[in-house]
Amino acid sequence: MRCVFFVVCSLWKVGEAVLIGAALYIMAAELSDLTVTAQLFEYTMLRKSVTESFGAAVSSLNAAHLTDGVIRRSKRMMLDTLGVGLLGTSSPVFNVVLQHGKMYQSKENSSVWGRPGTFLPPYYAAFVNGVAVHSMDFDDTWHPATHPSGAVLPALLALAETLHSKPSGLELLLAFNVGLEVQGRLLRFSKQAHNIPKRFHPPAVVGVMGSAAATAKLLGLSPTQSMAAMAIACSSAGAPMANAATQTKPLHLGNAARRGLEASQLALLGLEGNKQILDLESGFGVFYQDYIPQHLAEVTPNGHYRWVLEDQDIAFKRFPAHLGMHWVADAAVNVRTQILTEDPNADLRQIKRITLRVPSSRYIDRPIPDTEHQARHSFQFNCCSALLDGEVTVDSFSSKMMNRKSLRELLHKVHLENPEDNPASFEKMYCEIMVEMARGETHTARCNTFYGHWRKPLSQEHLVRKFKTNASTVLTSGAADGIVQIIENLEKIPDCSVLGSYMQFHKHVTQREQSYYSASV
Amino acid sequence: TLTSTLTSTTRRQHALQRTAPEETVTSSFGRFIQGVQPSHLSPKVIQRSKRMVTTEVFDLALQHCQHMYAPDDISFVYGRNGTKLSPTLAAFVNGVAVHSMDFDDTWHPATHPSGAVLPALLAISDMLPKNSKPRGVDLLLAFNVGIEIQGRLLRFSNEARNIPKRFHPPTVVGTMGSAAACARLLSLDPTQCSNALAIAASLSGAPMANAATQSKPLHIGNASRLGLEAALLASRGLEASPLILDAVPGVAGFSAFYEDYAPQPLPSPEEVEMHSFLLEEQDMAFKRFPAHLGMHWVADAAATVHKALMDLPIRSISPNMVQDILLRVPHSKYINRPYPESEHQARHSFQFNACTALLDGEVTVQSFQNEAVLRPELYELLSRVRVEHPQDNPANFNRMYAEVEVTLVSGDVFRGRCDTFYGHWRNPLSEESLKKKFRNNAGAVLTPDRVDALVQAVDELEYLDDCTPLLTPLQ
Repeated sequence: MRCVFFVVCSLWKVGEAVLIGAALYIMAAELSDLTVTAQLFEYTMLRKSVTESFGAAVSSLNAAHLTDGVIRRSKRMMLDTLGVGLLGTSSPVFNVVLQHGKMYQSKENSSVWGRPGTFLPPYYAAFVNGVAVHSMDFDDTWHPATHPSGAVLPALLALAETLHSKPSGLELLLAFNVGLEVQGRLLRFSKQAHNIPKRFHPPAVVGVMGSAAATAKLLGLSPTQSMAAMAIACSSAGAPMANAATQTKPLHLGNAARRGLEASQLALLGLEGNKQILDLESGFGVFYQDYIPQHLAEVTPNGHYRWVLEDQDIAFKRFPAHLGMHWVADAAVNVRTQILTEDPNADLRQIKRITLRVPSSRYIDRPIPDTEHQARHSFQFNCCSALLDGEVTVDSFSSKMMNRKSLRELLHKVHLENPEDNPASFEKMYCEIMVEMARGETHTARCNTFYGHWRKPLSQEHLVRKFKTNASTVLTSGAADGIVQIIENLEKIPDCSVLGSYMQFHKHVTQREQSYYSASV
Repeated sequence: TLTSTLTSTTRRQHALQRTAPEETVTSSFGRFIQGVQPSHLSPKVIQRSKRMVTTEVFDLALQHCQHMYAPDDISFVYGRNGTKLSPTLAAFVNGVAVHSMDFDDTWHPATHPSGAVLPALLAISDMLPKNSKPRGVDLLLAFNVGIEIQGRLLRFSNEARNIPKRFHPPTVVGTMGSAAACARLLSLDPTQCSNALAIAASLSGAPMANAATQSKPLHIGNASRLGLEAALLASRGLEASPLILDAVPGVAGFSAFYEDYAPQPLPSPEEVEMHSFLLEEQDMAFKRFPAHLGMHWVADAAATVHKALMDLPIRSISPNMVQDILLRVPHSKYINRPYPESEHQARHSFQFNACTALLDGEVTVQSFQNEAVLRPELYELLSRVRVEHPQDNPANFNRMYAEVEVTLVSGDVFRGRCDTFYGHWRNPLSEESLKKKFRNNAGAVLTPDRVDALVQAVDELEYLDDCTPLLTPLQ
């Protein structure tokens, strides 16, 4: 007779979810022959691990869980993302990665945005389109800070085009939101994540996880496979901040999109990773110094699910630069108005000194930026552009505008201060500008919440206008309108892959032509 | 006013300084990669690196690539006659193969340097047209550049000297090494080489938690392919941070992967008469069986005990004889597994390898197959194992040891200790042992004549005008 007894003599928690018990494992071949061996081993008891809760959620969330608020907000995000992506197809970095991607042939094809007749394997389509989305730093920003949509939408659309049974608009919407939700939840596992990042660029950390989750959803992976997708994706997470403000930054989004997609595909083939990937400090925890993972709420088929997007809206940019620049621009425009109101003929070259009171963040503090990428990450540059022109636009970052004498001169007059009460957090920061004129008078303005921030969201009209302005640089106006319509009615669209075709309705080139674009486009 | 004038002046000065040598760590690396020549390779380095050139997950990764990507008649897949993939995917799949059984080389500070570099280089070689194949010495040089860069980067952090806890080293330095090696083979200019490294940094880093899982081999596969991609992107003009390797306060570059990071510039090859490759001073460990390096110490220690037990009249080892097995090993969570459940876990289990060696006298490739892993006698032994972490046993491949102490039911105690296993850099595998390992491995998939051809090609590598003799037998 064999008996096995577990006597749990002490329990303690390691991490939030995994219970480790010291059990006296009593095994007996015969009752008279008792061998008592103390063993320390991990086992999950009644509670699932954090990782499992994510796998379960990704797999089980369904369309019924999407609330109206979440649907509305996420559709705005999709529209904005497509628009900035289209605009981005004109960027040099997009051209580089497209040439790179063209090295690879495929049986399956997904559309490259803005390039009629150009298709790539979904992995590379996701990559190049993701790069396009972030190429000009024009895409959405969330709190805690990341650019969530660019990591997810390109992967989903690329995948959708290759599925035999095309997903509906509603399925796309659901998968998209799963991708956002996972990112939002992961970002809340660390307090460090609430501030402007210093070490790892957030889209590279959570973006790939979001892409994995979203594509897992679209592929209909089981909870176990969904977990595996995230575990595999975790080994593709992380890129250092130093490459922000360089031409390589857009690749962070492109890579997140493609590697998350790949993770799902590998999981579908049966590849496994660490089943506790989100629970362990040596897992997803490596990217943070303070990592406290939490379970996702249980998902019941007909129950209510509280999405992060419901509680925390997103910021859309009005011009293509780092989010921090938007506070500066709004404050600068305000000061400019003050100056011109007092004296409509005021000559801004008469400005003697500009004091900028902003949060301390090294990678957006650039007195004299050299490249367009640096300019998009420069408090000083955006301040001066807004002062001179009354606004910052796409064109503000062209070489012509960047090299203006008047701008260069003004840049030399800017001084940065980092007040103690101005934290490097998109939720709490402000910008104060004080301009001292030649004759001694000063003008001050402060911006706490720029227009487009989640506290002061862009109106639907302005959002659609931004999309159309961007899209019409590449697409026919008919196609642009078509996309607006599709997104507006997304829940009712039977086949979401039509979006891919619309994204190729170039205004100058028709499908029959297969042109190759030079890097100077 | 004054401050901003100073700022702009400093920036202008800084811009001027850019033309002077060695002003950033990053650019020094770029210059090294481009400037180093075959003449800088010493005989010892050549010999050591040739030894390195001379190893399910693999199947899965291959299947993935074939499913996703149509045949691109460019780069071959190891041991799969007629199977070709695009260069980066070939590098990926072959890299996965190299690390699939944790059988590949290990260096100090800890990483698996070759698996990240060689597949990418071979993929490039395949990619180049027939009459422009690199010479053997070019391949060897590029390989050494890839190894050297990894070694240099690992020395920028004290943390790197110990068995890793956070990021799996091949994913941190391996990607960089691959980028460097590929940049070299593609003859990129110094700026492009620096950019390749910087682009690669954004593709580096994977958490330790996936070690001891089926995903671990992908770490090497990815390092290889992503480094290659980084080099290819750099060759097309993509730019990234020029300070990626430098320590810039407030903005993390490569330093993101370490808590303590103190970079040093590489001396320019023209400046020093003979660039001293790290491989010269620090040799490589080659594994005798496919498991984590730490397992080799316990296996050798347990084998000693096995031998002693076999000398007893009873001449066999049965779990019933054994009362207690005590292992004195360094503290390292991911290789401390009392009851491994998969082959991957078994390769990362002090307990499993000790017990296997106790039972069989050695650990081999077959020890990790299902029948062996699930043996009841093994399980019996496993249940008798205790682990201790002596203070004087650091989690460091240069200083650790393993002690296996077996207490028999009869009361007798047998102890074995291993300070340096055979295959460690302090006690390197002989040429004969290394070639034997190679033949056993390669012979599992290649015909004998191809195996011989490979041995010969590597032997003569630096003399080959064209590395085709190395490429052909691998297909």
